[in-house]
Amino acid sequence: MLIQQLVNGLTLGAVYTLLALSFSLVMGILGILNLAIAELFMIGGYLGFTLITAGFPLPVAVLGGMLGAAAIAIAIEKIGYQPLRDAPLVTPMLSTLGFSIILQNVATNIWGSDPAQLPDEYFGKQYALGPINIGEMQLIVLVATVVLVAVVAYIVQKTPMGRALRAVAENREVARILGVSADRLTMLAFILSGSLAGVAGVLIALHYGTITPYLGVEIGLKAIAVMVIGGTRQIWGALVAGPLIGIAEVLTVAYGGSQVRDFVVYGFMILILLLRPQGLLGGARSDQGQRV
Amino acid sequence: MLTIKGLEVRYGAITAVRGVDLEIRKGEIVALLGANGAGKSTIARSIAGLLPFQGEIAFEGERLTPGTAEKNLRRGIALVPEGRGILARMTVHENLLMGIYTRSDKSAAMADVDKMLERFPILGKRRDGLASLLSGGEQQMLAIGRALLSKPKLLLLDEPSLGLAPLMTASLFSMIAQFRDEGLTVLLVEQKARQTLKIVDRAYLLETGRVVTSGSAEALINDPTLSEAFLGGTH
Repeated sequence: MLIQQLVNGLTLGAVYTLLALSFSLVMGILGILNLAIAELFMIGGYLGFTLITAGFPLPVAVLGGMLGAAAIAIAIEKIGYQPLRDAPLVTPMLSTLGFSIILQNVATNIWGSDPAQLPDEYFGKQYALGPINIGEMQLIVLVATVVLVAVVAYIVQKTPMGRALRAVAENREVARILGVSADRLTMLAFILSGSLAGVAGVLIALHYGTITPYLGVEIGLKAIAVMVIGGTRQIWGALVAGPLIGIAEVLTVAYGGSQVRDFVVYGFMILILLLRPQGLLGGARSDQGQRV
Repeated sequence: MLTIKGLEVRYGAITAVRGVDLEIRKGEIVALLGANGAGKSTIARSIAGLLPFQGEIAFEGERLTPGTAEKNLRRGIALVPEGRGILARMTVHENLLMGIYTRSDKSAAMADVDKMLERFPILGKRRDGLASLLSGGEQQMLAIGRALLSKPKLLLLDEPSLGLAPLMTASLFSMIAQFRDEGLTVLLVEQKARQTLKIVDRAYLLETGRVVTSGSAEALINDPTLSEAFLGGTH
């Protein structure tokens, strides 16, 4: 049924949105792609998974995943970004790629490479809303995404800290002469970004009920596609592109088969890069800063 | 208020400023004049803390460390950079709010933002519009207003008249002259030497990174030997 597929697509899109927002926060401010975000997402998922199966309630699992991912994000900024910030853009990006592989390796050593399964008793409830069946975790994912996006939107748009983040993103030098500590704000961007990735990881791991150390690569690459489609310099592009890609992916699987799923997502990304490289919400090209 | 001794600034192998000595006293409007590439902006940017330098810059008796722009603003040095440096993707109001970013007296600072919008009515009218949509003159007002909101002791204006129409330039210069009455100390970097000398107390003339002469505005404007070479003739 189409409407059911739309709800499923929105759930998937919600997770893409959170993770793409996580990529955008660093990309928008520093102009670099922090590839380790995908693995922060995976580590967040494992931490949430572990806490839930150890009997902790969902808010603790979410907080655990968020704090764990944020702590690793701080380490990445200190070790993998800060010493390389004056190097060409590709250098810190390669450094985050190194972190990404290390984190995947660490996860494999701690949790093993086989998929971890969540027992059926967790979040198995289904609610019927007219013709739609919606799972308990699906509902949590959608509500949590709306809340988190609203919180990030409030921070970025309405607080002095958010304005300072936007100022650094637009013009680091001008931000500095206005008294903004660009270094402190860079660290903040990494922490916010890592926290979002961690929460997204917990939500998707519990929604799927299974997790592997390779979850980050699969979902992370899709989130990068979502960020590109929405516009790499526009944090809010992910809000439109996430649900769009989620729905497109689910509908493709439902009506075209899973073998063409990735073709649609990445094909659309390539099309956007060719026809509208600034992304769906990217505005005029002259408005863009450094490009990936 | 500000003392510079033996300032030297390099961009790679190129020395942009060589052994510059300079002094600005409290309440003065001082100009740095010279052609493109004379080193005027480099001096202003070094004072603001944006560039690494050798030599000594002391503000209110405290020696400044190179590259500490954030701290220098908190010390009371505000720079309006060349090209205005407005945040184009923010609204006029948000740009002004960035001017009070370092202030701890938040309620008084918010009241100052409102006063600034009244001081520049055109900014008040465009309060919620994007700063990128303002004209050049309006953007300059925004950049200066934003800098004033940090309550600076020393205001550095880097080529504020660049790209402005003559009428707008005249109105800008009369506004800068009024800063003296408000007790603000100003370092004005300009190429429009003759117009600048009408509003400043003293000036330094620079050529290829060195100070070639300095003195009171009156003395410089009446010096016939300088008139042709640096001030663009006698008009």
